[in-house]
Amino acid sequence: MTDRYLVEPDLNFIKEVEALGGDTLKKCFQCATCSVVCPISPENKPFPRKEMIAASWGLKDKLVGSADIWLCHHCGDCTTMCPRGAKPGETLSAIRAYAIKEYAAPKALANLVNDPKKLPILVALPAVVFIVLGMILKVFGVDWLNFTPGGDEIVQAHFFHTWLVDLIFVPLSIFVVLIFALSLKNFISDIHKNALLEGKTDKEKIDPAGFIKALGRVIPSILKHSKFSECSENNERATSHMMVLYSFIALFIVTAIFFVALYGLQIHGPYSQWNPVKWLANAAGIALVMGSAFMIKDRLVKTDQSSTYQDWYLLGLVLGLGLTGLLTELTRLGGSAFFAYFFYFVHLMFVFDLFLFLPFSKLAHLVYRTVALSYAEYGNRK
Amino acid sequence: MDKKYRTYICTGCGIGDALDVKNLCAVPEEDGVSVKTHPFLCGKEGVDMLNADIKDEGINTLIIAACSRRVNYDVFKFDGCIVDRVNLREQVVWSHPRSEFPALAEDQIDDGVHFDRLEMLAQDYMRMGLARVKKVKLPEPYLLENVSRRILVIGGGITGISAAIDAAELGYEVTIVEKEAALGGYAAKVRRQLPLADPYESAISPIIQSRIDKLKNYSNITVKTETLVARIAGQPGEFTVTFKKPGERIEFDVPYPLPPEMKVDENGKELDNEKLAEVFAEYNEGRKDILTLDPSGELYGAVIVAAGWRPYQSKNGEFAHLGFGDIPDVVTNVQFEEIAAKGKIVRPSDGKDARTVVFVQSPGKGDDDADFDYCGSVTSLVSLKQAGYVREDYSDGKAYLFYQHMRTPGLTENYYKAAQQDSGIFLTKGSVMGVSKSGSDLVVDADNTLLGEQIRIKADMVVLATGMVPETLDDPVVNLAYRQGPAFRDIGIFGGYADSNFICFPYETQRTGVYSAGAVRRSMTMEECIEDASGAAMKAIQCLDAVNRGVAVHPRYGDMTFPEFFFQRCTQCKRCTEECPFGALDDDAKGTPKPNETRCRRCGTCMGACPERIIGFADYNIDSIGSMVKSIQVPSEDDYEEPPLRILGLICENDAYPALDITGLNRLSYNAEVRFIPVRCLGSVNVIWIKDALSQGMDGVFLMGCKHGDDYQCHFVKGSELADIRMKKIGDALSSLALEEERVAQFEVAIDDYDKLPKIINDFVEMVEGLGPNPFKGF
Repeated sequence: MTDRYLVEPDLNFIKEVEALGGDTLKKCFQCATCSVVCPISPENKPFPRKEMIAASWGLKDKLVGSADIWLCHHCGDCTTMCPRGAKPGETLSAIRAYAIKEYAAPKALANLVNDPKKLPILVALPAVVFIVLGMILKVFGVDWLNFTPGGDEIVQAHFFHTWLVDLIFVPLSIFVVLIFALSLKNFISDIHKNALLEGKTDKEKIDPAGFIKALGRVIPSILKHSKFSECSENNERATSHMMVLYSFIALFIVTAIFFVALYGLQIHGPYSQWNPVKWLANAAGIALVMGSAFMIKDRLVKTDQSSTYQDWYLLGLVLGLGLTGLLTELTRLGGSAFFAYFFYFVHLMFVFDLFLFLPFSKLAHLVYRTVALSYAEYGNRK
Repeated sequence: MDKKYRTYICTGCGIGDALDVKNLCAVPEEDGVSVKTHPFLCGKEGVDMLNADIKDEGINTLIIAACSRRVNYDVFKFDGCIVDRVNLREQVVWSHPRSEFPALAEDQIDDGVHFDRLEMLAQDYMRMGLARVKKVKLPEPYLLENVSRRILVIGGGITGISAAIDAAELGYEVTIVEKEAALGGYAAKVRRQLPLADPYESAISPIIQSRIDKLKNYSNITVKTETLVARIAGQPGEFTVTFKKPGERIEFDVPYPLPPEMKVDENGKELDNEKLAEVFAEYNEGRKDILTLDPSGELYGAVIVAAGWRPYQSKNGEFAHLGFGDIPDVVTNVQFEEIAAKGKIVRPSDGKDARTVVFVQSPGKGDDDADFDYCGSVTSLVSLKQAGYVREDYSDGKAYLFYQHMRTPGLTENYYKAAQQDSGIFLTKGSVMGVSKSGSDLVVDADNTLLGEQIRIKADMVVLATGMVPETLDDPVVNLAYRQGPAFRDIGIFGGYADSNFICFPYETQRTGVYSAGAVRRSMTMEECIEDASGAAMKAIQCLDAVNRGVAVHPRYGDMTFPEFFFQRCTQCKRCTEECPFGALDDDAKGTPKPNETRCRRCGTCMGACPERIIGFADYNIDSIGSMVKSIQVPSEDDYEEPPLRILGLICENDAYPALDITGLNRLSYNAEVRFIPVRCLGSVNVIWIKDALSQGMDGVFLMGCKHGDDYQCHFVKGSELADIRMKKIGDALSSLALEEERVAQFEVAIDDYDKLPKIINDFVEMVEGLGPNPFKGF
């Protein structure tokens, strides 16, 4: 019989998933309580029971390329109900972290982002890039970096010239998009292959138009957090997650508008506090800080659910991003030039990390989960 | 003993409220027996009264009409007195409420139509008690002249050694016989053994050497290696044991009973006793008869069988689908342990590292989820342990376990959990469909796994978790010089394990004074063996104590009676010898039974079997029960227009009688036409009692006792089964008397069936009612 599945456990995979927060995965004794209590698991081939056995058998190929791991929203209901303390929620989270690393290229960057020992490098890298690039430009007579910005008004652009910022961020964005495009190509092909093999789809081939339509159908439910809200254990996390997501969307819109305003209309900041775009930006900033703070508090309170470096890294980044953004603005309005420029500098560093490491950090779930949900919608996963 | 009788009626617990005590007192008074009543007989005042009567008036035979004999037995126990308990509480007033069984109105008394069922019931029980005490004697213990307090332990493995140490620790002299040249058994052959103490998470180094060393500290333990037991003759307290070297043939080798085909002549007719003795001597040529004691034999009081197990030998091609026999790298768990004990785990075929090993728990495939024969939790645990070896030897080692049943009871669950959490151990339920060879690798195919599909694994080795075959499967081991044969009887239903299905009573065998422990009893871990050894040692010591005091061992522990034979009337029919569940009787060449009192468990099966009715006990015999039956009043049409039925219930006192008491305790009511007589075991029921009952006009008889068959619950193993056979035979006798066979029935009940008893009883009475009254009534 050639259609037998050749089992080849990958011991390193088990070890890595354990290190990424799935250290309890081998405790699973396959009672399937998790799949029964999961509020969002599909009827056909429900998760996370099958993921638990595959993980404890080190069957990387069954997990990394499976859309199901992304359909899980880490409600934590399974972890709470698990009679064996195997923490399926955390295990799936760890498998997702592994999958992110697996699909991201270059691997060196992925390892950098996911290794707590290398955190100082992550912190230092944007600063070095900014300063070194600024200095090099100075040598060529381009003075986009000014450590002693003067003037009556505090204008961030006097410190880091917008050109310098965008010289870095625009290519960075293109880089990130390219990486994601490559990762997604592999990812979609893998999840389709997996779904065909496990009988989780009714589509033989992926029709791009149909897929995009499915994406369109999924987005409203993502925005509404309709799946997330079905969770009982971590229900409150849905609200804070929604706050953070909406803040990012708002800030993206704000950035886009100001980008157009700056380069298209040649209107330089700082912009008036009476500007409605500014209102949106401020509201988003506050929501970002609150949302991420809530999530941090939630994780600190729920000691029975474990959190990993990847979780803290992302939450720290988001909170730091929001805080430094708001502080920059407040100190600027308060007229404290030193602090305004200092926080702006730190803020830029956070933005840099957020952008560059998007495909490698937990934040990549934004893309993978959206794609997986769209695929499930497209393939009629029931 | 000159009996001085007195009846005591307790009027407490509702007895006085429901019954007319004056009428009840009339029963013994008419019989010339004085009566006293007391409102609270088991209270201090009541007991003081009894003691005073015994002391001052010399009362020595007391009929206490109160509660069940199963309660207050210590209160109503008086040295040197015969005591009978008439159960007025549980089986009369509590189970027959006045609301259902009303007393007679003034004008109904003696009108020839009406009768008070409850009064009749109580009065009958009173008569039965009076009848019984006249026919019983005060028991005296059976004492051996010399009781040997030495214990023989057969088997020098971990169980035998542990049992010997436990018994020696308590001051008993112990001999261990071991057929191998060295002590230790299998426990000395393993790389590691399963944990013995909390937290039960990891395997430990073998402890057997420390046990052997400890053994040497006891001067009261003798070790005989390279020794077998040729025969054990005699009875507990005075077993005469003959030893021999393996392979030796000696005259005290135990003789075997004749196979059935040799007991008949060429025409199929049974040989007479004289001829049988002749054929037997021929068949066992060169071996002394069982009744000849070895003059140089050693005396022992009790025996512990710890003969252990041997690895299962597969029948030819039995596990062919698993490649066993064809592929050298498919081995059994025992072979794997041998490899592991030698060093790193390598393949037998080419000596290559065995880094990937598949452990198969069940040979069944597809719908067949059968495990290996003689397996148990131990084989599950051993596979987990051996999977650990693979992990220990190779950091990249992988061990797969396929099971249909993973048995890790009690705290061994911790061991399972620990193994499960090893990242290189993979566990799944599933059927292994086949093992084949591909190059130098083995390919294992499995279906219905937890992975949800048909899977394939490439492995270096495959290990089959085959079972532990008890040494008693085809070797008597104990070689008892008993007429019933040298081996434990009927252990086929336990797969050859030396078990006896004594519910809740492990270590017991069907041979008194011989206790089994360890892997000879069932497949078990060394931890269980050690615990078992203690249990068997305690049982052996208890037996010695009982023999020393002349009382019975389990389950009638403390019973001082023993069967007494009136040999002048014995017809040498051998039924007692053959039917005794414990092989207590050895007949001689003529066929006369030789009782071995300390082998006896006092069930009375011999008494039930004897057609001449020459066997009885001091307080329980054909006459005592027969007199009770005859004392039951059977009303006829001369007494009443429509006389009530009379049904006799012979109730096993082990489970059925307590169940009936519980029925009363729960105030569940049942027909009042039935009269119960407790019997030691249904095996002790002699058909004469049934004939007596029917010939005096009783309308039906039922026996109520334990379940029989392969999963029997009979406390004496064979009693209820033998009763069933006898009841079937009685049917012919009944039909010759023109009585319906249905008038005699046997019911199997368990102690917790109390709620079902009213229906069983009422249905039987209703059925008999349908048959109509016994035509012999009134004759």
